[in-house]
Amino acid sequence: MSELFWDVIWTLNYIVLFYFIALHVVYLGTSIFAFRALRRYALRLKSLDLSDLISSAWAPPITLIAPAYDEEATCVESVRSLLTLEYPEYDILVINDGSSDATLERLTEAFNLHEAHRVPTAEMGSEAIRGVYRSRRHPNLWVIDKENGGKADALNAGLNHCQTPLFCAMDADSLLEPEALIRIVRPFLEDARTVAAGGVLRIANGCTVRQGRVVDIRLPTNLLARLQVLEYLRAFLSGRMGWDALDATLVISGAFGIFKRDIVVGAGGYATDTVGEDMELVVRMHRYCRENEIPYRIHFVPDPVAWTECPESVAVLSRQRDRWQRGLFQSLTRHWKMLLNPRYGRAGLVAFPYFFFLEMLGPVIEFLGYFSFTVTVLAGRAHWPFVLAFLCVAIVLGIALSLAAVALEELSFRRYPRTSDLIGLFNLSVVENFGYRQLSAWWRLKGTFSALRGVEGWGHMARTGFKVDDGEEPT
Amino acid sequence: MDLFGLTRGLSATDSALLILAVTIVGLLVVALLFSGYALLLRYRHAARERLREELRQRWEAPVLAAIADPDRIIDVHALVPRKYRLHFVQFVLEYVRRVRGAERQMLRRLVEPYLDDIAERAEHPRSEIRTRAVQTLGTLGLPRYSAEVLKGLHDPSPLVSMVAARYLARPEFPQYAPELMRHVHRFEGWNRRFLASMLATMGPEVSPMLRDGLLDEDRPTWLRGVFAEALRMQLDPRAADTAVEALEATDDRDFSASLLRLLATVGRPGHVDVLRTVSDADDEVVRAQALHALGVLGGAAELPLLFAGMDDPSPWAALHAARGVRDAGGVELLEEIAGSDHPQARLAGQVLFEEEQA
Repeated sequence: MSELFWDVIWTLNYIVLFYFIALHVVYLGTSIFAFRALRRYALRLKSLDLSDLISSAWAPPITLIAPAYDEEATCVESVRSLLTLEYPEYDILVINDGSSDATLERLTEAFNLHEAHRVPTAEMGSEAIRGVYRSRRHPNLWVIDKENGGKADALNAGLNHCQTPLFCAMDADSLLEPEALIRIVRPFLEDARTVAAGGVLRIANGCTVRQGRVVDIRLPTNLLARLQVLEYLRAFLSGRMGWDALDATLVISGAFGIFKRDIVVGAGGYATDTVGEDMELVVRMHRYCRENEIPYRIHFVPDPVAWTECPESVAVLSRQRDRWQRGLFQSLTRHWKMLLNPRYGRAGLVAFPYFFFLEMLGPVIEFLGYFSFTVTVLAGRAHWPFVLAFLCVAIVLGIALSLAAVALEELSFRRYPRTSDLIGLFNLSVVENFGYRQLSAWWRLKGTFSALRGVEGWGHMARTGFKVDDGEEPT
Repeated sequence: MDLFGLTRGLSATDSALLILAVTIVGLLVVALLFSGYALLLRYRHAARERLREELRQRWEAPVLAAIADPDRIIDVHALVPRKYRLHFVQFVLEYVRRVRGAERQMLRRLVEPYLDDIAERAEHPRSEIRTRAVQTLGTLGLPRYSAEVLKGLHDPSPLVSMVAARYLARPEFPQYAPELMRHVHRFEGWNRRFLASMLATMGPEVSPMLRDGLLDEDRPTWLRGVFAEALRMQLDPRAADTAVEALEATDDRDFSASLLRLLATVGRPGHVDVLRTVSDADDEVVRAQALHALGVLGGAAELPLLFAGMDDPSPWAALHAARGVRDAGGVELLEEIAGSDHPQARLAGQVLFEEEQA
């Protein structure tokens, strides 16, 4: 083969090596920042008197916006859990996004809904509203029935009908912990510049749910779900906590985030032409605030928790990861002007380049690396001891980073009380390196190509339902 | 490359291999340290929980007995060894939040001998420890430890000063109000509603200071807005005339909106003249609040203006105007609009619906 070919192959090898080092330096850096931040946060939590906050008039009113599409099996349980939140003043807006099943009927029956009036206070684009309903039993529960338009469209409809200074965007099938709102609203009280805050998502598979509350927390039995528990710990406790410590939060999960209504309306609401509307909104809020010279802070708060069900089959998980990667791609390419642009502060100079080069382009680089590496090996040009040593470094580094996330969990919230679960997390830190990480990279690569091909839509997300402990079948 | 002399004499490949091998060992050690740390944290937490439970069982009954019979305080103190003093204060702190009156006083007497230890922690270099100390002293040690808590107001950590302010701003301690009012400008970063609520909880003792603050042009405008909100929460009728005076002298949007909210709560029909002037302000927030106040304070004479406000391009101003129509006695007019194909029929319908629900 020509010299040029081998030059390309070796260049690719070096690019991959550089990518590998850069990626892990960032992971290590965020983990270190997260350690410091979480230790301080755990101490700060002790000076928080939740009951004082809950009973006072200090907490600003919030509107929960929960889009629901074909949720007839889970919507009643989820809304019940929302009604038991401990917060002084909040509205619940369930947006029935043109469900083809009996979501609206189930809600009407369970909560005694009747037709009501609620005039929009903003004009974010959304599909036509078919009806507005309010519960006779729970006056703070509203259901807005609209034509199908997707999650972002439903959130916009909710935003149009929101009458409080803050709103909480969430998934209708997530379970918020009773104190989640009072905990997540804290940055808004302590710092008037706060425009958004995101909470933690934890995996409910394997846990027991009673009357809308997670009462017994344990690791799932399904291996894929177990691996995702570890992945979420890494993403939230090491990743997002670290980025928050750097004041460069670029992602707030769509399943649980709280926002200042006027800023979101000013920024133009949710984008309906992306599957990553949650990240896209946060990136756009950075831009909006910077470009309009509005002092702002976007926070990640590690103790308010929303429990969610994760996919347990390879097919569903791959679709989810494909969508996440497309969302990331769409959000970053749409706002590429932020890349390395000092005008956007740390978000533009640190977080954006990380997501752009390492998260968005990462899977492509990684697979080019697999290709060049395979060619090098097949051509007999690889130095085997070196190859094996490098693989060992990659694996042990991966294990160390996952164990750091487990240690962070122990340092802060210790949600898995059984020691067997802790040992299980240790084991998973090793196991995930043999197959799962590579699969994840493959799904992300597919997602990148899907984004380049302009693939749209969410794909079907089959759910098995929470493990409910009140004598009922799983919902 | 010469790695601390280790790679001297080795080829480049062997040197690289050695570096990788050292890296692997190093990372393995790090991984083991992380897992060991996690296990240690688990063990430490379990041990703490056990100790807490043990101490709870030791103290609970005697503390309850002492609440009922003050003579038994001495028995409780005998059960608190020096090394567990902070634990005891923590234990009582959890109780004290649940009780009031004489029981609370008794609990405060129980921890009195140990609060000097806490006061020392108010000087700790770590802000989180200082915060906790100020919180404890604020709950259990006022007024004896007022110097330490007041010092917290000047603390460089916003968290410490916030906690200090919250504990000083209580109706039972009006003596701290002047000091708090002197420092309140430091809390610019706080949520305004949060700050206003805190000031309002200090009770009527602080109202004259808040009223004076409304007109004090040396104070930042944002703070005067907070004073207006606090007076509104206190439902202070004497603030209405001051609010009118301040409203006539400002063109700040947020301050004007706060003053209008205050007027809507404590104003009198005599104040409608100024509201009429503001009701066509350029700013939608000011307009909306003016229409709201006008609806509350004005009578049927204001209906034409409020009715016109329902066509305001701002949905908030229109909503407030419609509510104003209702409040000013225009329910029949709203019913007529709601039943017609008037462009504001939905708006009228919502306001009537609100009335029905109320």
